[in-house]
Amino acid sequence: MKLSQVALLVAAAGGCCVGLWALQRTADFGFGNDDSPTNVKAEFYWSRLAYSSNMEGAGYGGGWGHRGWYSSWSRDYPKADRQFLIAMHRLTRIDGRPYEQVVTLDSDEIFNYPWIYAVQVQNWSFTDAEAKRLREYLLKGGFLMVDDFHGTDDWQDFMNGMRQVLPDRPVEDLQSGDEIFHTLYDIDDKMQIPGEQYVWTGRTYEKDGYQPKWRAIRDDKGRIIVAICHNMHLGDAWEWADDPNYPETFASMAFRVGLDYIIYGMTH
Amino acid sequence: MFQFLFKYPSPVFTKGRFVLLGSWPAWLLVVFILAAMGGLAFLIRHRLRDAAPKMKSWRAWVIWGLQSALVALILFLLWEPAMIVSELSSQQNIIAVVVDDSRSMSIADSDGKTREAAALAALEGGLLAGLRKRFQTRVYKLGSSLTPIKDGAPSQPIAPVEPATHISDGLKQLAAETSDLPVGAVLLLSDGGENTAAADNSGISLDALQALRNRRLPVHTIGFGAEALAHDVEIEDVSVAPHATANARVATTITLMQHGYAGQKATLIVRDGDKTLAAREVELEPNGRLQTEELFFPVGAAGAKRLTFSVEPLAGEENLANNAVTRPILVSDAKRRILYVEGEPRWEYKFIRRAEDDDPTVQVVSMLRTSENKIYRQGISDPAELSEGFPVRPKDLFGYSGIIIGSVAADYFTPLQQELLREYVDRRGGGILFLGGREALSDGGWAASSLNDLLPTFLPQGTHNFHRNPATVELTSAGVDSPITRLLDDKEKNADRWRKLTYLADYEDAGSPKPGATVLAEMHAGHRSLPLLVTQSYGRGRTAIMATGGTWRWQMSEALGDPSHDLFWQQLLRWLVAESPGPVTATTPQRLLMDEGHVQLAAQVRDHQFQPAADAHVAAHIVGPAGIDALVEMTPSEETPGLYHAEWTAEKPGAYLAEITAESADATPQSLGSDVLTFQREDGVAENFHTEQNRHLLDQLSAETGGRYWKPSELANLPRDISYSEAGISVRNTKELWDLPIVFLLLLALPITEWLLRRKWGVV
Repeated sequence: MKLSQVALLVAAAGGCCVGLWALQRTADFGFGNDDSPTNVKAEFYWSRLAYSSNMEGAGYGGGWGHRGWYSSWSRDYPKADRQFLIAMHRLTRIDGRPYEQVVTLDSDEIFNYPWIYAVQVQNWSFTDAEAKRLREYLLKGGFLMVDDFHGTDDWQDFMNGMRQVLPDRPVEDLQSGDEIFHTLYDIDDKMQIPGEQYVWTGRTYEKDGYQPKWRAIRDDKGRIIVAICHNMHLGDAWEWADDPNYPETFASMAFRVGLDYIIYGMTH
Repeated sequence: MFQFLFKYPSPVFTKGRFVLLGSWPAWLLVVFILAAMGGLAFLIRHRLRDAAPKMKSWRAWVIWGLQSALVALILFLLWEPAMIVSELSSQQNIIAVVVDDSRSMSIADSDGKTREAAALAALEGGLLAGLRKRFQTRVYKLGSSLTPIKDGAPSQPIAPVEPATHISDGLKQLAAETSDLPVGAVLLLSDGGENTAAADNSGISLDALQALRNRRLPVHTIGFGAEALAHDVEIEDVSVAPHATANARVATTITLMQHGYAGQKATLIVRDGDKTLAAREVELEPNGRLQTEELFFPVGAAGAKRLTFSVEPLAGEENLANNAVTRPILVSDAKRRILYVEGEPRWEYKFIRRAEDDDPTVQVVSMLRTSENKIYRQGISDPAELSEGFPVRPKDLFGYSGIIIGSVAADYFTPLQQELLREYVDRRGGGILFLGGREALSDGGWAASSLNDLLPTFLPQGTHNFHRNPATVELTSAGVDSPITRLLDDKEKNADRWRKLTYLADYEDAGSPKPGATVLAEMHAGHRSLPLLVTQSYGRGRTAIMATGGTWRWQMSEALGDPSHDLFWQQLLRWLVAESPGPVTATTPQRLLMDEGHVQLAAQVRDHQFQPAADAHVAAHIVGPAGIDALVEMTPSEETPGLYHAEWTAEKPGAYLAEITAESADATPQSLGSDVLTFQREDGVAENFHTEQNRHLLDQLSAETGGRYWKPSELANLPRDISYSEAGISVRNTKELWDLPIVFLLLLALPITEWLLRRKWGVV
């Protein structure tokens, strides 16, 4: 190769580098940069965690894809999310995007969404890198709400994943007086919030999850970083809130709990 | 030599007045001289055409110059020149001999002898005897005060043990105590070390100079000691805030100077007792140059502390006592409460609160509008606090040391509350921080509000200035120097850290800074550069704008454990409240008392409305070393309402703590508040510093008073020269100048020079 060709190549490469650098310095490169109607920029994004499924733990309603569209993370998605966001918009001053956001643990993009919601967490599984990222997310100030898992086996499967993320932090039962139930609404009397199956079975529980468990994991300063809704299904309550057969009592309670949890996550 | 040529000693010419004794006026002399010069010029020019060719050049004008000078000199002598000078009358005047007997005079740098020994040797080696031939003498010793020596024999009672030198005070005392005596001059034998605080560390106080001038007393100074130590490093000054909050990182500026170690490394250390708080290695600058170094140290837990700032001794240092100084510092863990008003739930609110959770000295009390009609309160001290919303009474609002206004529209506040906010900054001296946001600044209608002038920027027009787009940040030059934005101690690394911080989640155009405002950080959004952090003083308080609601990404997107977000917010909020006065503000003009114990205390007392409390009962409880425990009543100032004074004397060296408390003067007294300050008395410490001869001070003192600086080796003529003084009993003598040897030499030299030149040029 002639010297002039080498020089030309170097100059071209240099030009590319300068151009890239200039783009990085000046371009509008932030998250939520897509101005499509489903991606309006907002303060709060309802962020649903799309986790990798544990195939063995896959049970009712999902788990037949690793992280497919109909995997267990996407139960009630997106109707539950959107109906909840409608309520949030009406009942609070939060500037929230009316459409949900799906987040994963594959990249640091999750740190742009300090509040995430996960369902069917008995099916979740993490690589070491994913567990580390979620641990850092929570310790930096992120907030995780988990929902829609039932009974003893689901709890064990959920904790298998949780122990990968936070090995030593205890799980505690929340009391009615805990601050998380009094941020927007004072929720002193809580009930088990059933899934849609209540409409045709009349049962409020699934599997052997007879009692609702309002639980949490806290950080070193006592702030809740993981809010656990075990033996209940708030997502279904939001999703079927417009179904005349689904009792309004359960739906209202689910909305109030969800809003309290969000306000808590945005204030603590 | 001078006296051989000029017949009289130099003081006759420097102190005397020149006169012409001849009866003809002086202007006539000038006319004659000019006429003679003109006549000679005409004559030479006229005869030039017949002169030798060699003379038709510059040589003719050299001849003209020599002849003119000769004629001018003769004419000058005809007018009878003379000097009139005042001389002390023999044996009718007193010479005050003042010998410095402070501890620095014990330094042995005068040809192997101590400075004191050299001074005494000079006196007893003929100086005193020479003076006594012409004058009476009185000998004094000078340390922290002036003391006469009764029998006039200095060697016995003088020893260099005094812990301080107060030259200014001593000379003032001398002028006062000898006002009815014919003192003709003062002779000061000293190294020039001056420890009087009022002397500004470098010169003689104006009071002392005025007292000497009023008496026309010349001070002749004889300097002892080396003018610069060969090998020494000295701490010249330490600047550190007298107050700090617990666990804060405090900045100090240490000024040092060295001789003999240029380019070498030295270690600066800050200690609290035996515990090292910080250390930094510095490279020493050239000899004799003041070197300023900044050092940061963690101040630690609350309490009254004496910190030691030192430079580690270097090999071969001549004086180690000047390597360290101590400073009192009061570390407080009192919680300052900040009211944070937020108009909507948002991440910035959460993460600011979390940052302040780690700051033991600041408590954020917040009211958050979660829905249109609900307010969520955090950090309140009792259920009633803020239960009615934003305060409407001064008593309720002025208790907070700072206020943060988040994404809240201006019209959320009633006109009364807006006025209260103005009063809060202007009169109460509080700080308000405005954040960017969806309903903040211009987007919240603040530009059109009555509080627009509180803001440190001219807000832009319109309401679409808040953008949920990323922006990178960069410090300005003011930000590089500001403690608010200091994430790393090293300035360059700190500026670089800011440049590399992850981008903000959003930004708001806050407009342009107002005159007097300071932009500490800027944002770069796309092609735009906008002010991010702007501060200003307003009235007695301060306001600031942080034009974003998106610094929370610094916490979420930087590495776990990165302190940038929390540290910045803690520093910003500490700045916001640091200068907000409490109801009682105690001050003293001097926290470091050098070799004296007189201390002035002042306290500004305000009532619950933050109006001056003119009729309070104010007392200072002072605790000091060796069990000193005193209660001092403070008296109200006649000029300034709410200001109270007290004076007290700290008898013993050591650290003192004064707690000033104020109560209302009602039948049932109510506490108005209290404040604490520290001060420290140090005896004999200043004498360890500036131990080289202070030639500048001695020169200045003699020059300002009409005396002269003398070296110990040049004292032979001192008894004679000192007699030219206007002080005491003096007579004016006329010294004629016509018979000066220099005149005769010139009368001979000028024609001889002309003749020799002519010979050389061959035109005789």
